[in-house]
Amino acid sequence: MRFIVCVKQVPETNDLKIDQNTNKTVTEGVSTIINPFDQLALEQAISIRKEGDEIVAMSIGDPKTKSTLMRCLALGADRAILLDDELFQDSDTFGTANILVSAINKIGDYDLIFCGNSSFDTGSGQVGPELAALLKVPQMTYVESVDEIKEGKIRAKAQTDEGYRIIESTIPLVITGIPPSSFQPSIPPLPKIMAAQKKPYDVWNTDDIEGDKNKFGAAGSLIKIVKLYEPPKREEGIIITEDPEPAVEKLMELLIKDKVI
Amino acid sequence: MIEFTEEQELIRQSVSEFAQKRIAPIALDMEKNKEIPKEVIKGMAELGLLGCTADPAYGGSGLDAVTAGVIAEELAKGDCTGSTCVFYLVQASWGYLFNKYGTEEAKKEIFPKVTSGDWFLGIATTESGGGTDVVGGKTTIKKDGDDFIVNGEKMYISGVREAVNGGGGHVTIGHQSPELGSRGMTVFYLPLTSEGITPTYIEDLGREGISCGGFSIDNVKIPKKYIIGEENKGFYIIHEGYEYARALIAVICAAAGLKSLENGMNYVKERTVFGKPLAKFQEINFRLAEHYTKLEMLKSLGYEALRAIDLEQEGKGDRFETSKIVAMSKMFASDWACEAINDVIQWQGAFGYSRECPDQAAWRAVRSFSLAEGTREVMKMIVARELLGKELTSYK
Repeated sequence: MRFIVCVKQVPETNDLKIDQNTNKTVTEGVSTIINPFDQLALEQAISIRKEGDEIVAMSIGDPKTKSTLMRCLALGADRAILLDDELFQDSDTFGTANILVSAINKIGDYDLIFCGNSSFDTGSGQVGPELAALLKVPQMTYVESVDEIKEGKIRAKAQTDEGYRIIESTIPLVITGIPPSSFQPSIPPLPKIMAAQKKPYDVWNTDDIEGDKNKFGAAGSLIKIVKLYEPPKREEGIIITEDPEPAVEKLMELLIKDKVI
Repeated sequence: MIEFTEEQELIRQSVSEFAQKRIAPIALDMEKNKEIPKEVIKGMAELGLLGCTADPAYGGSGLDAVTAGVIAEELAKGDCTGSTCVFYLVQASWGYLFNKYGTEEAKKEIFPKVTSGDWFLGIATTESGGGTDVVGGKTTIKKDGDDFIVNGEKMYISGVREAVNGGGGHVTIGHQSPELGSRGMTVFYLPLTSEGITPTYIEDLGREGISCGGFSIDNVKIPKKYIIGEENKGFYIIHEGYEYARALIAVICAAAGLKSLENGMNYVKERTVFGKPLAKFQEINFRLAEHYTKLEMLKSLGYEALRAIDLEQEGKGDRFETSKIVAMSKMFASDWACEAINDVIQWQGAFGYSRECPDQAAWRAVRSFSLAEGTREVMKMIVARELLGKELTSYK
């Protein structure tokens, strides 16, 4: 079986600065990590891999994204593909999904496509479902674990608002994963990092994936960001340090003064 | 500035994640409990950090010195007590020596247990009468048929309890031909579980997660396979292990100092005095700039020293040039880091002096490194020897 895992490199910090002129976050000088949900997706793929299966990690980005893909190889992916072209820039989720679909078609046969539930930076959670729609395959969302693959069917445990559900689907399909609360991302050990350097790593551009250029980047995007701005900073709170009784009195005074009660 | 490879950056990321998530939160507890938790040692082993300089054939990763430095740097940022740094650096440095000069049979026996974290591989050359003056040591090693008999004692040694209780031993040195002085010394591996070893323990000022102690050696028999390198050439061999450790110590000191400055910066930006942040006081921001500059210089020099070790291994370096740059890197490593951390303690006021503050633990740990693996004074002697020539060296 072939599993394709789509991963994204995201900033390590929550304290991103915004460039008001370009309506983009400033990424220069900001350290990056693999989107944690995407690492879960990769680990889900690794957990069900059997001998002879292939795991392909794929990401859209620039040469700096190689570090994320090398991490995927060190964690257990068999090959990695970086999709890097100026035309891919400014893609919204639909443009992103179109690029990934072209690359998936170029790879050829596949059985499962794994994505993280959403990304830590933009967090729209759209790419997985859009991939499924464009590829015309089923999708499972909020998958916490893949329990069984048997006779062309897959069974998984997925989160709901109330608890869990066990769901089944035919293959191929798209799975978007979400981590259980106990999830501890694996840390690649030294020997595997060293072995990863010898695994296949390719860089594909628009011509390589033979897609429709009008569907990539800003041209292929349905959504345009009109304005990107930070939420107003919360004012500093008041800490009441007195003993309990006078503290309650003071708290009441403040709440009444601010017309909270 | 040294440039790191993609592979080294990935290794840095892995070790950083491990150190920040698994070590930093429990670092101060390691001092209270006087041990590195088994889960941490197991985690270090699973990551491939223990005995990482041994060849893959023996369970190591065959790392070069610069990469070993990257690991040391990230451990130092995560472990304010320096305990895991010592646990790591000793095994990396002396594992390197053992890998280079040890017998095939001994490496096959010992390394797999070291890299799995079951055994500890240490260094024991210091004696109660002195450490830096290796030739002045009293320990002897004598041939006895196919075996060797060792007598003497070692003192102020890291990891004694770990090797006595968990298994393993220490690389050490003794006089095989006392009449030949430095030309009659032999390096060997001494299992601390051997009959005739009696350990004693000492409370150290810092890095308390790893034990410190000594042991008497009373007619301990060791097999020939435990001899490291050529007999009577030990004095020359042992310095390669020291130098490896010294260069790692330079990087560890720089990283510990820079981490402490980071703590200090976070504090002085938030803490206000007389209506303005502490950071705005010139006394603080000038000191910060000075410490940062010194520590970055130190880190660069530490990596240059490690690179010199690598170049020498590739046949491109010079033995004495390596000794010089290594000594330069370690000479002020502890002093500069201690000065920086001491100021960070001062900036944090009473909290800085409390046991809750990670920086006081870092100061106590880093302080040890102007003594360990060759004193500050010996580093000066080595550099001066290379500048003035051996005939003008101060120890002859």
